Amino acid sequence: MKLTRFSPVVAALAVGSLLLTACGSDNNSTTGSGTDKTTGASTAAACASGTLNAEGSSAQQNAIDEVIANFTSDCADATINYNPTGSGAGIEQFTAGQVDFAGSDSALNADKGEVEKAKARCQGNDAWNLPMVTGPISVAYNVEGLDKLVLTPDVTARIMKGDIKKWDDKAIAALNQGATLPSAAIKVFFRSDESGTTENFQKYLAAAAPKVWTDEPSKSWPGAGEGREKSSGVSEGVKSTPNSVTYVEWSYAKDNGLGVSQIDNGAGPVELSGASVGKAVAAAQPDGTGNDLRLKLDYTTKEAGAYPILLVTYEVVCSKGLDAGKTTLLKDFLTNFASPETQGGLEEIGYAPLPAEVSSKVQTAIKAIS
Amino acid sequence: MAVVTSSPPAPTKRLLESESAGRRARNRLATVLMAACLLIAMLPLIWILWTVVSRGAGLLGDSTWWTNSQRGITSRRVGGGAYHAIVGTLVMALMTAVISVPIAIGTAIYLVEYGRGRFAKLVTFMVDVLTGIPSIVAALFIYALWVTAFGFQRVSFAVSLALVLLMVPVVVRSTEEMLRLVPRDLREASYALGVPRWKTIVKVVLPTAFSGIVTGIMLGLARVMGETAPLLILGPYTSSINLNPFDGNMAALPTFINQDRNNQALDPAFDRVWAAALTLILIVMVLSVLGRLLSRFGTVKK
Repeated sequence: MKLTRFSPVVAALAVGSLLLTACGSDNNSTTGSGTDKTTGASTAAACASGTLNAEGSSAQQNAIDEVIANFTSDCADATINYNPTGSGAGIEQFTAGQVDFAGSDSALNADKGEVEKAKARCQGNDAWNLPMVTGPISVAYNVEGLDKLVLTPDVTARIMKGDIKKWDDKAIAALNQGATLPSAAIKVFFRSDESGTTENFQKYLAAAAPKVWTDEPSKSWPGAGEGREKSSGVSEGVKSTPNSVTYVEWSYAKDNGLGVSQIDNGAGPVELSGASVGKAVAAAQPDGTGNDLRLKLDYTTKEAGAYPILLVTYEVVCSKGLDAGKTTLLKDFLTNFASPETQGGLEEIGYAPLPAEVSSKVQTAIKAIS
Repeated sequence: MAVVTSSPPAPTKRLLESESAGRRARNRLATVLMAACLLIAMLPLIWILWTVVSRGAGLLGDSTWWTNSQRGITSRRVGGGAYHAIVGTLVMALMTAVISVPIAIGTAIYLVEYGRGRFAKLVTFMVDVLTGIPSIVAALFIYALWVTAFGFQRVSFAVSLALVLLMVPVVVRSTEEMLRLVPRDLREASYALGVPRWKTIVKVVLPTAFSGIVTGIMLGLARVMGETAPLLILGPYTSSINLNPFDGNMAALPTFINQDRNNQALDPAFDRVWAAALTLILIVMVLSVLGRLLSRFGTVKK
């Protein structure tokens, strides 16, 4: 009786929702050729179908998004989801069996029990750290009229500690003769969330400026400044605050149009570029057993033209123990990711390609996954 | 106003006039203050609406916005749409409604028609407590249950379970009020005709309160649709379409917004974030308006 009054509305809703569910499409191939398509003729041969879920480091988000977009447009039956929730969260979800692989800015830590937990998750098999994305960390600043800023590890550490409070401090002026430095307070922004970028940046400071930076490197920030969430938060902070400085992945500094400091590790100022990062990555030493490929970075490198502040994002995978279907897709995807074509395309969005030597080791490890 | 009428007219008038001058001033002051408060309250709302519409309206007219997903699109590329997220949000809302509406209406009927004594008081108290639970707590509770205790995957059904915890108290409250509004005479007339209690409730009380109940449900739905905490904890994002609530990641508008938020410096991501926000506002608004319309046209004729 009274219900009849609502039947037109109900019918309209039903028809509307039917229409909505009928016309959805996953096919964006015609519109996909946007501004920055970095697929370098990556005709990936292997195309398994299925779904992979991954989670972790936000430092590699832009890189892995790009790779996933290219991979899935070649492989229509494959879906790969990556959620940039942070390195710590990624490893947690990986060991909890919620995701198929994790992205992490530091290799699994035995002291924290991560290695054991990951082994349990992989049904008793080892979990491997595969270095996949190398991204430089920039010391990004926003100072009116200052196009070029040179910093040494010591001075950087003292700024980040809050020991150097003004831009026209003698220590900075000595490194930047001829530059007009404002007599303004330095405002430091840091990551308020647990971040692999924070840890890697501190590792650099602790290695290259051991006298100043005495804190044990960790995912949280012990230095001075104001906290902002995620890479986007700190880069926006610097962008909107004059006379501020932060440490952030190069791609974010580029996208936000921030000034990027040159680092003088002892062999003269080095500008941040794909080539200067490549030199430093090539000098990195493998530090792991078998196919568990950790990289040991040389933060104190005095090699001319090598940019020393680096971050390596590992994909943490099970060497064995994933579902058979997922394993094939995982291998296909990682093979594509580590291929020189894909890696080469990452440079224009602010990452450095894996050096050939490392890349081939990663490929061998991927083949050994079963 | 309430001046004694028997007193002489002249002094009364003077008294009134002298008082009304002060009163008028105070009255004006109060009016100005209230109007200022209204303005202050409205300002952020208008500001938000203006920001969202001016930044987000552009993409909404795009041909693929309502039909395509974000598969194969990155923060650097233009194109794609919000279809996957819209459908995900609607699916989760529908599941939430299907689970919570029977529970909530049952509870409300119990409280109004049957509940007496200590147990009813306890239920009312519990509903009150549930109303005050922050969404993140509900989400963590379901995470502890669904993932930690049972070892299941994070799927959108779990999100709906968390949303149920948030929606049930809202609907119980509104339904309770609507049922209490049904005149006692109607029930008594029905009893007098020998109709049993359960039949009275089903045939007389519920149809009378129907429109009010529907409004309550719509408003409850509108409230849970924008919730983000349960999605962040229980519903990981995907850029592809997924209609299965029990398997795989499912996108929703809040997580879609959150995904591109990291890349605000890039134009395509910036546009998408605001367009998705506007889409979410539009969907919630349509639901609210629908709820109000139903209550206006659906009231029972005396």
